[in-house]
Amino acid sequence: MKVLIVEDERKAGRYLQQGLSEAGYTVDLVGDGVEGLHRALTGDHDLLILDVMLPGMDGWQILETLRRGGRDMPVLFLTARDQVEDRVRGLELGADDYLIKPFAFSELLARVRTLLRRGRGEPEPTALQVADLELDLLGRRATRAGERIDLTAQEFALLKLFMRRKGEVLPRSLIASQVWDMNFDSDTNVVEVAVRRLRRKIDEPFESKLIRTIRGMGYVMEEEGAR
Amino acid sequence: MSRPASLTTRLTLLFVLVSSSVLLGLGWVLHAAVERHFVEMDRDLLQSKLDALERLLKDPSAPAGLVGLQSAVDEMFRSDPELKVWVQISGDGVLSPPDLSLPSGILRQHADSPEPHIFSWWHEDVRYRGLAQSLQPTKPDVGPQVVVVAINIDHHERFMARYNQTLTVFIAVAALLSGFLGWWASRRGIAPLRLIQERAAEVTARHLHHRFPETSVPRELTGLAHELNCMFARLEEAFDRLAAFSSDLAHELRTPVNNVLTQTQVAISRDRDAESYREVLISNVEELDRLSSMISDMLLLAKADDGLNLPSVEPVRLEQEIGALFEFYDALAEEERVRLRVTGQGEISGNRLMLRRAFSNLISNALRHSFPDHDVILRIRERTDWIDVTVENTGEPLQPQESSRLFDRFYRGDPARGRQGSGGVGLGLAITQALIQAHQGRIRVEPAGELTRFIVSLPKRPDGLPPSDRLAQDAS
Repeated sequence: MKVLIVEDERKAGRYLQQGLSEAGYTVDLVGDGVEGLHRALTGDHDLLILDVMLPGMDGWQILETLRRGGRDMPVLFLTARDQVEDRVRGLELGADDYLIKPFAFSELLARVRTLLRRGRGEPEPTALQVADLELDLLGRRATRAGERIDLTAQEFALLKLFMRRKGEVLPRSLIASQVWDMNFDSDTNVVEVAVRRLRRKIDEPFESKLIRTIRGMGYVMEEEGAR
Repeated sequence: MSRPASLTTRLTLLFVLVSSSVLLGLGWVLHAAVERHFVEMDRDLLQSKLDALERLLKDPSAPAGLVGLQSAVDEMFRSDPELKVWVQISGDGVLSPPDLSLPSGILRQHADSPEPHIFSWWHEDVRYRGLAQSLQPTKPDVGPQVVVVAINIDHHERFMARYNQTLTVFIAVAALLSGFLGWWASRRGIAPLRLIQERAAEVTARHLHHRFPETSVPRELTGLAHELNCMFARLEEAFDRLAAFSSDLAHELRTPVNNVLTQTQVAISRDRDAESYREVLISNVEELDRLSSMISDMLLLAKADDGLNLPSVEPVRLEQEIGALFEFYDALAEEERVRLRVTGQGEISGNRLMLRRAFSNLISNALRHSFPDHDVILRIRERTDWIDVTVENTGEPLQPQESSRLFDRFYRGDPARGRQGSGGVGLGLAITQALIQAHQGRIRVEPAGELTRFIVSLPKRPDGLPPSDRLAQDAS
């Protein structure tokens, strides 16, 4: 998967490049708008990460030119201007998502994965499995090692998110947004409590634990020994 | 547009204009009176001469014929050489002085007017005034007669010329004097404005406490001084709040930055194992996370100070939004052994995300301060033009001075009371207030012992008028 980052702040750009490279992506980094547009038009990137404020040509202009040129790869905007008008403008022009600076890297990674997955157009699975934990999406049933686990609707939604994004670190804000539609800085205590309750049901009675806390980042669901 | 003339110039010109027009008018009235007086004097004089002449003409013993009449008239007015006499006897011709001619047509004009008529005319730069009358003949052999007597009135003319000259000079001097007076008076009159100007020049951000002396300025300026003082009071208050906010902000930012800095410096001061570095980095992430969300909140509040716009407005069913929030807080409430309850329903036009965030903060706050095994109750009450939502919890009583500061930025309340929420930097209620105000609503808190009740009043349509204080009173 190739990602193009257009970001003029060198330090931020380099760390984004490093972070995404370590997450398994091939990353190109460009520091100005005109060069960025050129690389986006000529390259074969699967995703574009665009800063709004760029020297030469701003993010909006790049996006507009790209879409007019028929390039429809997903575009994630990074903006320090958290004005809603800007967001609306970005989405009208065909941006797929946006992140407001400052943002957490884990949040960015989660969004990048979502965008790339959306681009692939995978069919919605009817069942999910992580180790011996199984989730039947149609019957809304969870079993672990053959044992039936009773879940509330919230817990079901939370578990579904974890299992679909197996191996990805999910920041608390992303969980709040995906499960409860809380698209703002909400009381993240709530997420901690909800995850704790879910763990009580799916992890505590069993030997191997599936949900891990990554301090300072969020939670990840993976088989023990996967890392 | 050109700049208007100075007040002093305007007042001076006004004084000059008014005084010279009054004096000119007065001069004209006096001139006319003197002129009339002279005419009266001349008429009396001429009338007596005319009467004497009439007596002579009607005397049966008077000589007949022009020549005889001439000598009789000469004889009669011997002592009065300035007097000019004309007598026209129809059929006989005209008796007239040798050195003066009447304006043409006078004799014919007065041929049959029995009333005496006064008139004046110029002859060789000398002015004369005459009195003309026609006399009915008393003798059958004599035709109708027209008699004119006239005198030189040059001395009147000279008097009037002198009079006019004096008057002109007087008016000019008086106008100048009054102009000067006006200039002086206006300078004096606007002196208090200069005082206000000097005081205003002393005002800087540091000296906003300066006030204008409201009692020592003239009554007309008291209102201005008072309004300016009110303006300064408002500015001072806003400025103080801003200054306090800036210092709070610096303080709030310093703590996490200081933590990160110290921790990092200690960590790199000697070699450690990878796990220790990891610990430091994770701790840094936590501090920076706090900073980051604080910055986002600050940005929101800074924008709110400029007046927050609603990005999009849609019908929002409050009980649905609160229900969704309850789902979110459900697990937390259960852990804290607090029950969340909502009663009533209502719909308003507003921004869903902003309203959700506002109530989320209120519910989070209520949960944080609730005693275990108690309810947090939200009541939605529909009023005529607005909707009241109350959020109640039972917990440690609010201190009396707390309720007024609760919505202040960075206000955290008693640190001993309740647990510290994650990322709680004391901006939550300030943000809630800003979001509610963006909907032209109001929020206030009513502490009643252990019961703390927040009351949010939201207009059903944000373009409508905000509910007045009086109306909001019966919400309780």
